[in-house]
Amino acid sequence: MIQLNRRHFLKGAGASSATCALASILPGSIAAIEREPLKGVSSEVASICEMCSTRCPIKARIVDGKNVFITGNKEAKSFGGKVCARGGAGHSLLYDPKRIVKPLKRVGERGEGKWAEISWADAYKEIAAKMNQIKKQYGAESIAFSSKSGSNSDHVFHLAAAFGTPNTFNHASTCPGAYVVAAKAMFGTKMKRDLSNSKYIINFGHNIYEGINMSETRGMMQAQMDKGAKLVVFEPRFSIVADKADEWHAIRPGTDVSVALALCNVLIVDNLYDCDFIEKHVIGFDEFAAEVKDYTPEWAETISDVSASAIRRIAHEYASHAPHAVVDFGHRATFTTEEFDMRRAIYAANILIGNIERKGGIYMGKKAPGYNKLAGENVAPALAKPGVKGMPKITAIRIDQVEKQYAMMWSSGGVYQTILDATLNAKPYQLKGWIMSRTNPMQTLTDRAKVEQSLKALDLVVSCELYISETAAFADYILPESTYLERDEDIADKSGKNPAYYVRQPVVEIIGDTRPSWQIFRELGQQLGLGEFYPWENIQTLQLMQVNRDHSLLEKIKTLGYVSYGKPLMLREPEMVAEFANAYPNARTIDEDGTYATAMHFKTPSGKIELTSAKVEEMAPGRGVIKHRSVQLKNADELYFIQGKVAVHTNGATHNVPMLSNLMSDNAVWIHPLTAGRLNIHSGDAIKLISSVGSEEGTALVTPGIRQDTVFAYMGFGSKNKEMVKASGKGIHCGNLLPNVISPVCGMCLHTTGVKLERV
Amino acid sequence: MNKRYVMVHDENKCIGCQACNIACRSENNVPEGVTRLQVRVEGPYGEAPNLHFKYHRVSCQQCEDAPCVSVCPTGAAYIDENGLVSIHNDKCVGCMYCIAACPYKVRFINPITKAADKCNFCKDTRLARGEQPACVTACPTDALYFGDANDSESEVALLLNTKITYQDKTHLGTKPRVYRIPTKRGGIES
Repeated sequence: MIQLNRRHFLKGAGASSATCALASILPGSIAAIEREPLKGVSSEVASICEMCSTRCPIKARIVDGKNVFITGNKEAKSFGGKVCARGGAGHSLLYDPKRIVKPLKRVGERGEGKWAEISWADAYKEIAAKMNQIKKQYGAESIAFSSKSGSNSDHVFHLAAAFGTPNTFNHASTCPGAYVVAAKAMFGTKMKRDLSNSKYIINFGHNIYEGINMSETRGMMQAQMDKGAKLVVFEPRFSIVADKADEWHAIRPGTDVSVALALCNVLIVDNLYDCDFIEKHVIGFDEFAAEVKDYTPEWAETISDVSASAIRRIAHEYASHAPHAVVDFGHRATFTTEEFDMRRAIYAANILIGNIERKGGIYMGKKAPGYNKLAGENVAPALAKPGVKGMPKITAIRIDQVEKQYAMMWSSGGVYQTILDATLNAKPYQLKGWIMSRTNPMQTLTDRAKVEQSLKALDLVVSCELYISETAAFADYILPESTYLERDEDIADKSGKNPAYYVRQPVVEIIGDTRPSWQIFRELGQQLGLGEFYPWENIQTLQLMQVNRDHSLLEKIKTLGYVSYGKPLMLREPEMVAEFANAYPNARTIDEDGTYATAMHFKTPSGKIELTSAKVEEMAPGRGVIKHRSVQLKNADELYFIQGKVAVHTNGATHNVPMLSNLMSDNAVWIHPLTAGRLNIHSGDAIKLISSVGSEEGTALVTPGIRQDTVFAYMGFGSKNKEMVKASGKGIHCGNLLPNVISPVCGMCLHTTGVKLERV
Repeated sequence: MNKRYVMVHDENKCIGCQACNIACRSENNVPEGVTRLQVRVEGPYGEAPNLHFKYHRVSCQQCEDAPCVSVCPTGAAYIDENGLVSIHNDKCVGCMYCIAACPYKVRFINPITKAADKCNFCKDTRLARGEQPACVTACPTDALYFGDANDSESEVALLLNTKITYQDKTHLGTKPRVYRIPTKRGGIES
């Protein structure tokens, strides 16, 4: 191998290797630099995966200087030291020829694909000048910041706050927002699932055998296979989770809420609910019971196509396993505009059997401060938040806060799709700039055409990315972030039933001229004249601030990669409470019934679980009580179009990663044999889907694993950006078929719509 | 022969997620375009709503009576002291007899070494370090088991003694050492 400095970029395309098509070399890409053996930072490094949002603890080791073997970190017991295909393939994006390793500036029209390399210093200078100019002319609030949630958002949102704009958005409204907001309305906080101890699991299309969340996927498989738990799945498609279920009901898309409410109806009418629990910990039961009275299984059957007898039987079976039974509150199941009440109806079915803080039910995360208080001693160290003094006071309203009903959404990330209306129609006021970090709204938001129009209409678009993603293709500047295998980050809280921390750290030396995002947004902040808001010099000082300068603690977290403290605790599980109290002599006195039930505090206005919410009623009149509302998702001559996640890809993020693209680069459209027969469509035929907002061409997959009135495609495919070579033009682009909608209260966009199917 | 390495694939626990496939590629530097291991999700079979998928592991079956070894003209394909079907890269002339002879269609010519290649239970990578094969290590749902079936205390020996298992194409007399626990749905009740 020719030994060249890896930072040395070949100036002329003619000097590239013979196997590389000259026209395909992107400026600033890995293809434009000479490949060198990987340099590992040590023999094996514990870190955090970033191939999806679960962020599993991993261990990584360099193999022969060529690639990295990534596996799970055994310290995190519920994760079992395991890793999925996406996690195992993470190293493949490290040296993907299409990865960008040098800042780029647009030189043609937006989206035209003409780029020139630019130095970091010049990029910061030009971006900052433009941002300050917009701020002066239109106010800081006219620039929106958006980011993938989690650690990526921390630094970019810090910059937004320092700059003075309230408009920050993450992917919540395109994916998990509804279950978070519904939990907030009812419990005041997010809830977690204890699938591994559940004896009866009801699942509304939460396909965690494909959308893998390692600890939950493992937990559910263990419950099913080792402990004989029964799994009931309601889903329009025969997914992997439907295959592994004991019962699969091909429910009509978007009608999950009717079945969930009918389950509640049977639980109440047949007196199967936990009266004592409701009395002690729940308010708003009577209003809910009155509303649910009419939602009989017979009523639900007419809406959902699930037989009334099955619903009644399942409700009884479910109740007979109480409290060690659960209705999974899902993730990104079939979306309707009634998403908020669908998730609340599911939580209600859990509340009614009193599975809160019980094994196999749902529970609240136990972070250090609360856990230590119960233990009466410092079992786990609490992380400090580096406070920054004198942050600017922001008076402008958020563009999604003109409607009070979205206030619960706010701290979870905001209504992402309001960026489109603000940009195109100045609603509620004009946006002029969009700073993005590792987010791909062109794939994950709905109405692709509108997203494209918005990006073209702005004065400034900046994208911090690994690739020229579907969205980054429309940016003015692309700031190349180091991959998660090359960068450090803040310490993260991973508490479950007991407190736990872990940290991301570099596995290999940085390839090319990329930077970690904490550095990028700090340096941009300094260029903007906001240096005073960055009291930390680098990530090490920030980490030390987090651990209150406890060097040995930091060292421990870094070496083990995952550190957990104390004993697993569920407040109403007598056995766990007894063990907890035994371990800590100063622990809180156990209640008379052998639990810590009286220690349960819900951050709702009443301090109790709110089955009916006065706060929601005030925010969105008529919505305090959980209610069924009819939704029309398609016209009579159309098919339902639904999507889901596949085990080898993550939404809008991984379709260009070589190893994963080699496994799957296309999303054939699932069509029922009778539907296909009517249109003379066979597997492999070219087909077209036409919706109210766009049309897409793809390939047919004729299968009995789908309802006759429904078509399905895995999401994230069919990029229209030629720089995403491995994904471009392959399959259906879901966002191009979905209309732009904002659901009440939870602010979700819509993922189910009507389509016409044609043979091409 | 001291050891009798076997692999057991529990098709009930397998979710076809390809974590095994990727772990194998990463650990063994398997080049693009060829593969040592994949799990094919086949189906769905049956009449709705009683459908089921089949999770079919496609990889070298480590036959005790291996056709690829008996047809190899140069002795490149051989069975080692632990019974693992192995390849001497230097002795391989790329005649592809072994590829034609393999009833499981799992051998290929490695585009880098130009020699025949296939799954060898991570013999020279992970087994050499005393670790489990990459696919077993990665499997999210613990659907894979690996070990020495001659050791009666081993997990695999216990499984083979207590669970209904089957092997692919046993009628050919190849005596494959990849065992499969059939899925309960549409399969044998175990």
